[in-house]
Amino acid sequence: MANSQAAGRRKMTALEKRNTLIAYSFLAPNFIGFVVFTLIPVVFSIVLSLMDWSGGQNITFVGLDNFRYIFKDFSFTKSNLGIALKNTVFYTLMTVPLTLLCSLGLALVLNKAVKGANFFRAVFFFPYVASLVAICVCWNFLLMKTGPINQILNALGFTMKKSWTSSRDLAIWAIIIVSVWRNAGYYMVMYLAGLQGVPGELYEAATIDGANAWQRFTNVTMPMLTPTTFFNSIMMVISCFKIYDVVAIMTQGGPGRSTKMLVTYIFELSFGGEGIATSAQYGVASAVSMVLLVIVLLVTIVQFRGEKKWVNYM
Amino acid sequence: MKKLLAVLMALLMVAAMTTAMAEGVTLKVAGWDITTTPYYTAIKEGYEAANPGVTIEWVDLASQDYNIKASTMLSGGDTTDLYCVKELSDMQNWAKEGLIVPMNEMIAADGYAMDKYAGMEACYVALTDGQQYALPFRADYWVMYYNKDLFDKAGVAYPTNDWTWDEYAAIAREVAEKTGAYGTHYHTWLSAVANWAVCDGVNTLADGKYEDLKYFYELYQGLEDDGVCMSFDELKASGLHYSGAFAQGNIAMMPMGYWYVSTLIGYIKDGTASMNWGITAVPHLDGVAAGSSFGSPTGIAISKHSANQAEAWKFAAWMCSEEGAKAIAATGTRPAYVSEAVASVMAAAEGFPTDEVSNAALLPTAISLEWPIGEGVNEIKTIVNEEHSLIMTREATIEEGIAAMEERAAEFIK
Repeated sequence: MANSQAAGRRKMTALEKRNTLIAYSFLAPNFIGFVVFTLIPVVFSIVLSLMDWSGGQNITFVGLDNFRYIFKDFSFTKSNLGIALKNTVFYTLMTVPLTLLCSLGLALVLNKAVKGANFFRAVFFFPYVASLVAICVCWNFLLMKTGPINQILNALGFTMKKSWTSSRDLAIWAIIIVSVWRNAGYYMVMYLAGLQGVPGELYEAATIDGANAWQRFTNVTMPMLTPTTFFNSIMMVISCFKIYDVVAIMTQGGPGRSTKMLVTYIFELSFGGEGIATSAQYGVASAVSMVLLVIVLLVTIVQFRGEKKWVNYM
Repeated sequence: MKKLLAVLMALLMVAAMTTAMAEGVTLKVAGWDITTTPYYTAIKEGYEAANPGVTIEWVDLASQDYNIKASTMLSGGDTTDLYCVKELSDMQNWAKEGLIVPMNEMIAADGYAMDKYAGMEACYVALTDGQQYALPFRADYWVMYYNKDLFDKAGVAYPTNDWTWDEYAAIAREVAEKTGAYGTHYHTWLSAVANWAVCDGVNTLADGKYEDLKYFYELYQGLEDDGVCMSFDELKASGLHYSGAFAQGNIAMMPMGYWYVSTLIGYIKDGTASMNWGITAVPHLDGVAAGSSFGSPTGIAISKHSANQAEAWKFAAWMCSEEGAKAIAATGTRPAYVSEAVASVMAAAEGFPTDEVSNAALLPTAISLEWPIGEGVNEIKTIVNEEHSLIMTREATIEEGIAAMEERAAEFIK
C-alpha cells in the first residue's frame, strides 16, 4: 500500500497531468511576458555590462573595462557617475522622509470624520493618477522666474531671480517637490488602510490610562503603523533610485549636470538626448545599471535587516 | 486534388516571378518621416520618370528610433538596398563594421563630380579607411529670418547679406527700441547661440579650444540683459518652440536652419502666421567671408546586403545630382548639391520671399560643418552642451564655462 502510494507520487495520473497542464497554461501568458520582457533583458543586461556593443553585429567581451570606464577619475564633483550618484542619493534622502511625513499627515487628518473626507482623499490622490507630463509642465510654469511661487517668495523677502529649473542649487529641489506632491496621495492611501487596522480598544485603553493625543499618537498609532511605514519606505526608496521621468520632462538633467540621475545617465549612454551625443554605448550603460542594481539591493537588504528592530507586527 | 493544387501553386509562382521580372528592379530605401516629408515622394517620382523599369520603395522608420532601427536592419542582413544617413557617427560605425559599401570605385568609374556639395561630402569619408561611404543629398545651413513688417514699423532698413555681428546686434537693439517687440530670438540650442565660431572654417567645436565662443556669449548676454531677446531661463522653463515664437510676429529676427523655411511657408498658408518675411545670410565676423554659415548634411549609403548594388549606386548618384537636387528643392528643402539652377528652383518654391537679398542668401559663400567627425567628438559634444546650459542660465560666468569646457574636453582630444 505504502509502495503504491509512493509510486503514485512519482508518476502523475493522467488527470493530475491534465490539471497541472491547465494550471501552467493559466500561468503561461503572464509568465511568458515576464520572461520575454523582463527576465531575458535583465540577464542580457548583466551580460552586456561585460561587453562592448553599439547595436551592430560586433559584440566583443571586454571584461571589466566598462566598469573601469565609469569609475575612472571617480569624484562626486567631476565624473559623470559620481555626480549622478550624488544627485540620486540626495534626491532619495530628501524625497523619502518628506513624502512619508506628508502622506502620514494627510492620512491622519483625513482618517477623522472630517466633512468631505472622501472628496479630499480623491483630491490628494489625483496627482498620482494625473498625466505626469501635464503635472511637470504645470510645475515648470509655477516655478518659473516670474511664476507665482517666486512672486510669493519675493514678497516674503527672498530674492528669486531665476526659474528653479535654471538654478544649479534649486533644480533638484524642483524635482523633489514635484515627486513629493505627486506621490504623497498614493502613500496616504496606504497609511489610511493602515490606520483602519488599528484596533479602537488600544486608544480607549490609552485614554483610560490618561494618555493625551500626542502620547496616543506616539505610543499607539506610530507603532501600529510601522508595517505600513516599512512597506512605504521600501517602495519609495526603490522608486526614488529609479527616478527618471520627472527629470526628463522638467530639466533634462540640467543645468549642466546638476540633476543628472543614475537612470538619466543610463538613458544618455544608451539613447542620447538633446545635446547628448554619447549614445549607443550599451555595454557602459549596462555597467551603470549594474551599479544601480547593487545599490538598490544593498539598501533593501539593510532595510530588511532593520525590519526586526523597529517594525511591529501585532 | 493535391496534384492539381501543386501544379496551380507552381504556375502561380512562375507567374509571380515573370511579372516581377517584367516590372524590373525594385530598390528599397530606408528613411524617416516618409509620409510627412514631401521630398521623398518628389525623389521617387523624379527617379522613376527618368528610369523606367525601376521602382523606388521607401521604407519608413520612426524618426526617433531611426539610428537604432537602421543599425539593427543592417547588421541583421535586411535586404533594404539603401539607407539615409541621419547621424554622421552612425555612418562611421556602419563603415567600420563593413555594413555599407565604399563608393570610391563607382565614383571613379562614372567620373562623378564630387565638388558640388560645398565640402559637405567630406564628412562621409570613413575615419578608418579614408573611403567615401555615402553621398549628401540634403544639407541644411543656417540663415537669418527676419520679419519685414517689424522692420517697416521701426523704419529700419532690411538687413543685407554682408552684415557683421556687431551690426546685427545694433539693428536688433534699434528695432526692439522702436517697436517694443523683441529685436531677435535665440533658440536654446548651442547651435543658435555659439556655433557661429565655426563659420570661419578653421575653428571647430571639437578642437578643445573655446575662447572663440566668448564673443558670441557676450553678444547674447548683452542682448538678453537689455531685454532685446527672450531670456534662456524663461524659454527653457516654458518650453517655447522657436517655430511658434517667430510665427507670433513679435520677433524681428531669428537665426535658424534652412528647414524652417518650409515650416514658415506652411504657417502662412494655413493662417498660423501672417507676416512678410525674408531671409539673409547670417552675419559674419571681421576677417570671415560674408555669407559663411554652418550646417549638417543628410546622406545616402548603400547596404552591403543589397542585391542590386549597381542599381543602388545609380539611384544614390541621381538623388545627389543636380536633377535630384531640383526635385528636392522644389519641395522647399535644401539639397546638398549647390548651383544657380538649384537655387532658382528653391526661390521659385511657393511662398518663398521674392526679394533679391533672400534669393542671394540661397547661395552661401561657405558652409562649415556644425560638428566635425572624429574620435571623441561625441563625448566633447555632450560636454560642451552641458557647460553651455550653465553659461546660458548664468550659473557659470562665460570664463568659467569656457574653462570647464576646455578642461573636460581635454581628456578626449587625441
